Amino acid sequence: MGLVTRKKVLSIMALCAMVGLLLFPVVVSLPSLAIGADAPDAAKKEDAKAEKGRDVYYKTEGVVAGAPAPKTVDGPRDYPRYNFESRVLLWFANQQHLYYGSFVLAVPLFCMVIEFMGMVTKDKALAKRYDQLAYDFIKISLTAYSLTAVLGGILIFTFLTLYPAFFGYLSSIFRPVMHIYALMFVAESGTLYIYYYGWDKMKEGFLKWIHLSMSVILNVIGTLLMFLANSWVGFMMSPAGVDEQGRYLGNIWHVIHTALWNPLNIHRLLGNMAFGGGVVAAYAAYKFLASKTDEDRAHYDWMGYIAMALGVAFLIPLPFAGYWLMREVYAYRQQMGITLMGGLLAWLFIIQATMIGILFLSTNYYLWQAMGRMRGAEKYQRYIKYLVFILACGYMVFITPHTMVMTPAELKAMGGQQHPVLGNYGVMSAKNGGINVIITTTVLSFVWYMRGNKVSTVSWAKFGNIFMGVFFACAYVNIIWLAILGYYIPANVRVGLSVPQVATTLSCLFFMFALNAVMMKGAKQMGPIEWGKISARSQYALIMLATAFTWMMGLMGYIRSSVRLFWHVNEIMRDNSPWAYTHTVGFAANMISFNVLFFWVSILFVFWLGSLAAKKAPVEVKAAVPGSAPQPAGSH
Amino acid sequence: MKALMSVGALVGVIGLLLLVGMILDVVPSNTVRLVEGYMPIQMLLEFTCFVAGFTGLSYMLGSMGMAVPRFWQGIGFWAFVLLYLKFRVYPPIPFSVRAMYGTVSLVAVFMWVSANEEDWKKFKQPIMNVLDAQSGKNKLLRYAYLVLLPILIGGFSFNAMKPKSEEPIELRTVHPAPPASTKVHGKSYTLQTSQNPYRVNLEGKFDQDYSNKLIVEQSMGRLMAPNANPWDEKSQGYLKYVREGGEIFFQNCHFCHGDNLNGRGLHAFAFNPIPANFTDPGTIAQLQETFIFWRVAKGGLGLPNEGFPWASVMPPWEQHLTVDEIWKVILFEYWHTGYYPRTWE
Repeated sequence: MGLVTRKKVLSIMALCAMVGLLLFPVVVSLPSLAIGADAPDAAKKEDAKAEKGRDVYYKTEGVVAGAPAPKTVDGPRDYPRYNFESRVLLWFANQQHLYYGSFVLAVPLFCMVIEFMGMVTKDKALAKRYDQLAYDFIKISLTAYSLTAVLGGILIFTFLTLYPAFFGYLSSIFRPVMHIYALMFVAESGTLYIYYYGWDKMKEGFLKWIHLSMSVILNVIGTLLMFLANSWVGFMMSPAGVDEQGRYLGNIWHVIHTALWNPLNIHRLLGNMAFGGGVVAAYAAYKFLASKTDEDRAHYDWMGYIAMALGVAFLIPLPFAGYWLMREVYAYRQQMGITLMGGLLAWLFIIQATMIGILFLSTNYYLWQAMGRMRGAEKYQRYIKYLVFILACGYMVFITPHTMVMTPAELKAMGGQQHPVLGNYGVMSAKNGGINVIITTTVLSFVWYMRGNKVSTVSWAKFGNIFMGVFFACAYVNIIWLAILGYYIPANVRVGLSVPQVATTLSCLFFMFALNAVMMKGAKQMGPIEWGKISARSQYALIMLATAFTWMMGLMGYIRSSVRLFWHVNEIMRDNSPWAYTHTVGFAANMISFNVLFFWVSILFVFWLGSLAAKKAPVEVKAAVPGSAPQPAGSH
Repeated sequence: MKALMSVGALVGVIGLLLLVGMILDVVPSNTVRLVEGYMPIQMLLEFTCFVAGFTGLSYMLGSMGMAVPRFWQGIGFWAFVLLYLKFRVYPPIPFSVRAMYGTVSLVAVFMWVSANEEDWKKFKQPIMNVLDAQSGKNKLLRYAYLVLLPILIGGFSFNAMKPKSEEPIELRTVHPAPPASTKVHGKSYTLQTSQNPYRVNLEGKFDQDYSNKLIVEQSMGRLMAPNANPWDEKSQGYLKYVREGGEIFFQNCHFCHGDNLNGRGLHAFAFNPIPANFTDPGTIAQLQETFIFWRVAKGGLGLPNEGFPWASVMPPWEQHLTVDEIWKVILFEYWHTGYYPRTWE
């Protein structure tokens, strides 16, 4: 057997092993699902004797198969503690685990995309650069992966030692899921290490495709892991599969598939990707600012751009996924929705809107700065002030609070709680308009960036440009018109208006990107993209982007958790600890900031560790860094 | 192009003169009225006109060789936004919101002046000139800043730390989350699923669409829909109950909530905050009828913990009205304001 054939056989075996690892937890869990199938008659007789309960969500009947949720009392048995607020300790452990977990789930997804781009790119030098970039990404995530596992351990110990009654109940319900989760984690680790250490050995031809397949399996495992963890969170917010006393009714799928599970899955998946992109972009920005050579600056400028583009690609649909989640929350429990959006936690949502706005503003700013490294982009730069104006108007509407903070004197001067002008911006109809205007403007900035140094040579270029202009103008008119119309129609129809608004924004995204790509095919280049020749301000924008992501993740996690108010498991298991109250906005903001700070300090340490084991890039790859032959503009 | 810019410049000058008049209290803020029902979009359009006006003005001054330096353009525009919000929009905007808008506009100005290197250099130039202090004037300015900036910061710090006797800021929860169910006159109502029993068609069946067609039109003047006059004695079904609800409203509620349901009743200004303005799109238009049912029945006393600082003196109307009367008065409120109650299907 030749060396190449042996490598192929070994790589296929490794791939099969990964598939096996993926399927292993499912197979292991099968016997537990099959219990009761052996003797149907006996089971029926037992069923007749057994006590039955009614599912609180699905409203189906089931045989009671678990103990009721414990009625806890404040004391060392149910809430053992240090001389410190246990909830804050748990908050910290949970948040750090989630940050790292999100990062290590997102980065392999990026690697898969970038590795694939490298494989299908015909330009060999560019393909190598993509491959190197994917490798750099996975290298960063590898150290973070160990830390994720360590933090996961800390989190479980924190639960066990500080909230034993609650964790005991949760693990009694999710016992099989938790075991599958643990086995999936083993599968994830095995796959990740083979994928990483097999990089050089599987870098060409058929072996490279096997390598890419491994990344697909790695990501499937990672995504399933996240879905399983989400089922616990979903159960705590919107329990199902148990009766009113919290007794498990024997249907594990009902317990997993709660009212909010799917919206949470989608929202978290997109959020992780946007967050991962932001962190890698910040890493590239930091390296760019610290670079001493033009070559390094060019490399990290490019890396930052790719990471930002990937992150923003997932940021754009994120508000829509969030909207879906909130809609489902309202549908599940009206009071939960009102607590979030109009009541106790409404001000945190204004802060969230502020952070979302910062994300989009930073992205636009980065793109405008990036136009500075292209010759020919000047023709667009003079119109940037109008984009700023549109963005600022959309942003101001988006962040206008429904419940304004004011002194009693201001309240009196205003003549009531509702401001007749600004009060209108404080409701969903206007806010949907605001955010869609912001996203459409971001799409427009992207289109300008993509055509910055090019002049279309197609015969219908003039018509194409006019069509694009009219399309964007109509999109703005449609979004704003629908936002106004929302005030004059029933609420259930108004909620549905978000669909045409989102469709308008996404039409701009897909049609205009596609049209632009067709128009720019074979376009005349005014000059190359001079990678590395970008302002330092742009890199600070990337760092701002990543920080805003991190802060927003912390905030949204806190909001999602706080909405249960004084329940461990909503309406099933009451929180009787001394900390069953909602923190003040100020305390929550300080705590989130502390978590963000800790994460960034620790991830800087991870980056430093990664740099200790820096893999030397092949000479030919370094030689191909921008400025010379291949221009990564093709990555657009 | 030049003609267009001239028109823009004219708009800009007129707008600026009006604003200066408002700041100096020579011209009342409502000289150009903010029209009820169109106020938010009117404000945005006004703002757009100003920006167009400034573009024209800048172009015209530039073509006359009197271009305004980028630094002053940026500072001037930011100052304009702050002054516009303070002196043009009425009733006065609370400081917290003006601070938010002011910060956004400051960020926007920064993004504009630093969008490209050339503009950024132009913007920075006066600052760099003062810092470099190559001329006598700049040297003097630098010393002035050296003295004035610490004084200014010290002043702000002093003002911030100084004990104040003002009433504290209240983060009021206007719409606290309701309970899952509420008990009124011995019967439990699930707020998620209960319906107004009087929202019925002529056959007496619950019909949201039917009642939606008969509400007051929301255009200026709030006109009754054709053939939908509840005060007509012959009116049946939904309209009949609206009339009955109206009678209850005017016997019990209008003293505070006003005969136009805008929260400006006879006794309204004895309270702070004044009673809820049902004509505002942020109140009943955002809520299910069952939420209103709960609030009316339980009043200010029944506000949950979340309803901090419980600034409501509304009586628990369950002590004065029957369940049917409460439902009917809610029916009237939605009819009169022209809003649809929130539904989920």
